[in-house]
Amino acid sequence: MKDTLNKILKIDRRWLFLLLSLSILIPIIKPIGISSSSISSSVQNMYDFIEKIPAGSTVFLGIDYDPSTAPELHPQATAVMKHLFKKNIKVVILTFIAGSGGLMDELVRTIPPQYGKVYGKDYVVLPYMPNFTAVLTQMASDMYAIYDKDINNKPLKDYEMMKNIKNYKDFAASIDITGTALLDGAWLPLVGDKYNLPILGGVTAISQVGLGPYLQKKQIKGLIGGMKGASEYERLTNEQAKATSGIDALNIAHLLVIFFIIFSNIILLVLKFI
Amino acid sequence: MRNKLLILIVFLFTVPSIYGANKTSKNELQKLEIKNFEVLDFPSDRGDSVIVVWDKENSDMNYELYLSTNETNWVKFKEIKSEDKPEPISLPFWVWENTENRFAFPVNLVKVFGLEEDKYFNEDIKNINLYAKIKSVSKNKSFKSQIVNGKPHGNWFRKERINNFVLVLLITVIFFVVVSHAKKRDLFIRKIPGLDAIDEAVGRATEMGKPVIYVPGIGGMSSISTIASVFILGEVSKKIAQYDSTIKVPHYDPIVYTVAKETVKQSYIEAERPDSYRDDINVYVTSDQFAYAAAIDGMITREKPAACFYMGYFMAESLLLAEVGASSGAIQIAGTDVDHQLPFFVTACDYTLIGEELYAAGAYISKEPMLVSALKIQDFGKLLFIILATVLSITFLIMSKTGNIDMIGKILDILRVK
Amino acid sequence: MNIFKKYIPLALVFVFGIVTLASYYVPHRVSESYMEQISVWENIVFAFSLFLGAISLLYSHYNKIVKKVDGWGYSLFVYLGFIVMIVLAIVANGKISDEGQMTALGWGFNYIYNPLSATMFSVLAFYIISTAYRSFRIKSSSAFLLFIAGLILMLGNIPLGDLIWSKLLGWTHTSIASIKDWVMNVPSTAGKRGILIGVSVGAAVTSLKIIFGIERGYMGKD
Repeated sequence: MKDTLNKILKIDRRWLFLLLSLSILIPIIKPIGISSSSISSSVQNMYDFIEKIPAGSTVFLGIDYDPSTAPELHPQATAVMKHLFKKNIKVVILTFIAGSGGLMDELVRTIPPQYGKVYGKDYVVLPYMPNFTAVLTQMASDMYAIYDKDINNKPLKDYEMMKNIKNYKDFAASIDITGTALLDGAWLPLVGDKYNLPILGGVTAISQVGLGPYLQKKQIKGLIGGMKGASEYERLTNEQAKATSGIDALNIAHLLVIFFIIFSNIILLVLKFI
Repeated sequence: MRNKLLILIVFLFTVPSIYGANKTSKNELQKLEIKNFEVLDFPSDRGDSVIVVWDKENSDMNYELYLSTNETNWVKFKEIKSEDKPEPISLPFWVWENTENRFAFPVNLVKVFGLEEDKYFNEDIKNINLYAKIKSVSKNKSFKSQIVNGKPHGNWFRKERINNFVLVLLITVIFFVVVSHAKKRDLFIRKIPGLDAIDEAVGRATEMGKPVIYVPGIGGMSSISTIASVFILGEVSKKIAQYDSTIKVPHYDPIVYTVAKETVKQSYIEAERPDSYRDDINVYVTSDQFAYAAAIDGMITREKPAACFYMGYFMAESLLLAEVGASSGAIQIAGTDVDHQLPFFVTACDYTLIGEELYAAGAYISKEPMLVSALKIQDFGKLLFIILATVLSITFLIMSKTGNIDMIGKILDILRVK
Repeated sequence: MNIFKKYIPLALVFVFGIVTLASYYVPHRVSESYMEQISVWENIVFAFSLFLGAISLLYSHYNKIVKKVDGWGYSLFVYLGFIVMIVLAIVANGKISDEGQMTALGWGFNYIYNPLSATMFSVLAFYIISTAYRSFRIKSSSAFLLFIAGLILMLGNIPLGDLIWSKLLGWTHTSIASIKDWVMNVPSTAGKRGILIGVSVGAAVTSLKIIFGIERGYMGKD
């Protein structure tokens, strides 16, 4: 008995990996459909904030993640973008992450046509810029000094939606979906705190923990955390998509982790008494 | 309260003088007149800003503010409606006092007039003057103010940071007092098991004849945790040299690589084993986070080290490294000041140095009195924070109950760094 | 020798440390230009050190290939990857896409580099489960507290957690999400602030130690 329990405790970790793979794969192939019933306050705040932005206003949408964090963040960006277009808010899309090009391209190719949005009139895409500190500081006075052309190499100023846009004062908010520390490390200190532009965002579930103090002080007006946050946002906007289907896998994988922690500790407890 | 009283007294004196002698049209004109209209140098700036100020009248008056640098070409800078309230300038009270009945608009000359920055600072600044005039409009009647002017100056001290400056001076003085008294007494440092375990780890590596892998993290040389890490690396490699064991140090940052190389070389010399030192102990791998993690994971899997050290700045790769190390059976010691990566290290490693323990490592290992006494200053700093936080929380609570909001604002100004 | 290895570096650190600290309090254009110059210099030094790093990388793998140590075949891939990416970058003039068309460099970036880094990140999930199973031992009351906090966080992070909570503890009229929010906003944030204050004070003192030459770990040893 003792030997068997010890053996179970020291099981080859590849079995655990297999179990985890199955618990992720099966729900993706055959969804169970357990969706979020409650909405976390930071997601609700984000939704409410965007709801209150008057139609015709302009916002920044930062797509600052690469494929490594895309499974969590791409559904967030999709849900937010859909919400913005639904509310007829104009969007300026930008990025400081070199690897995000393909993902940004996919968003722009698929979402705007669903809402009949036209490039240049309802949204524009800015080219990748490496040095975020310089860019964010410069945009406070005149954004065209740094972004004179859009991603298609055409003069940015000439687009219809950019006619009355010059600097942060002409924007209603900035939403940054990021897999790095760009939200609390760049947009918040360089733009939010300095120029009073409301900052909102989306981050991975792991990074969410670190943003507590900023949310508490309302320096960040709203935040989507991880895939669960994305699925909650999809529910709020009535646009069930990728996050909602991925949430099954998330459910099972989390339960598996909880089960393993409890299981291994029960074995330890039993081992102590036999 | 005092301000309001003053306004009232001024008002009481001015009302009869306006009403007493003049005709109605003149009255209105006088009402439209701009009082205390000035162009002031912006305090504590690099020399390209001024502040335009004037008194706000308590009537339905609209203003149009015009600016120029030559009195001929005027730019309409601002239009202010009668219902607009003066926007406060975000400077602390000892630099600029915001009042409700005075408009104040900062003007950046370079931005407003689209001047070329280098030329402005090299030539224009010597002679430039900002001219301002206001057109005040009230019920179809308008009045043009006289033209006032002012000159921007570059300042040599940021007055708004004087609070921070005083704090730095205070810490520096305490620092010197404590450090200069360092050698007189033996100071107590509590045990840090993670650092005591270094001997055990290196001993184990020697017995097993396997290498030690030391990971300095993904921080640059300006990160304090990396500096601490390099110091620990020095001590670890000294022990390695003494025991004639082997060590591998894969790097993410090329500058850290260069520094670490020197440190390890020196440690081998100190241990009187310069012959055992090899140039490939330190290896630069890549400056890409996940590629770096993959390379180290590969290294651990292939070489099955006896001990792994993870000291410095870590992000998402922390568990990628620690878990592979744990599964290879190595004894693992980690240390980082990145709070959200600590849980991963705590669960997957045998010992973890938390936050400041990492900074204290240098003092703890070397037992050098100066470094040890510097730890005392850290404790003093924390004590100061605890006392401040407690006292101020209670004070604010009492003040907010007694309605002393102005005072709270002033205290917050003192605590805030602009 | 001591002059070059000890006194000159220490003097440089002292002078630049004090001047840089002072420039934080000086708004004048002169201090701004000084900071700009310093960051340019920093970039230049970094570029040279990157070059040194690349040489070290290639040299250590060259040694492995020559000595045919275990796994020397992997070292060939270092050379292969290094050379291929450099050649592609030169051919594509450093551009990932050109007039909407993906260049060869872009292809390598999007279809080799990106999937590889995505794979490394996703390995994290597997390691989390293995760590949770093997290492999360509830041996003390504080470990139990940690477990409870972890449990609340994990359940609060998934919809299924809501479901389980409302079935079992629905009568309490609370939700797991609100409890999770409380744990994150109150104890977790308080702890984080505590660590942050300690770390900041430590960083300030360490900076003074470096400026005044008491801590010299950054320049190798004496």
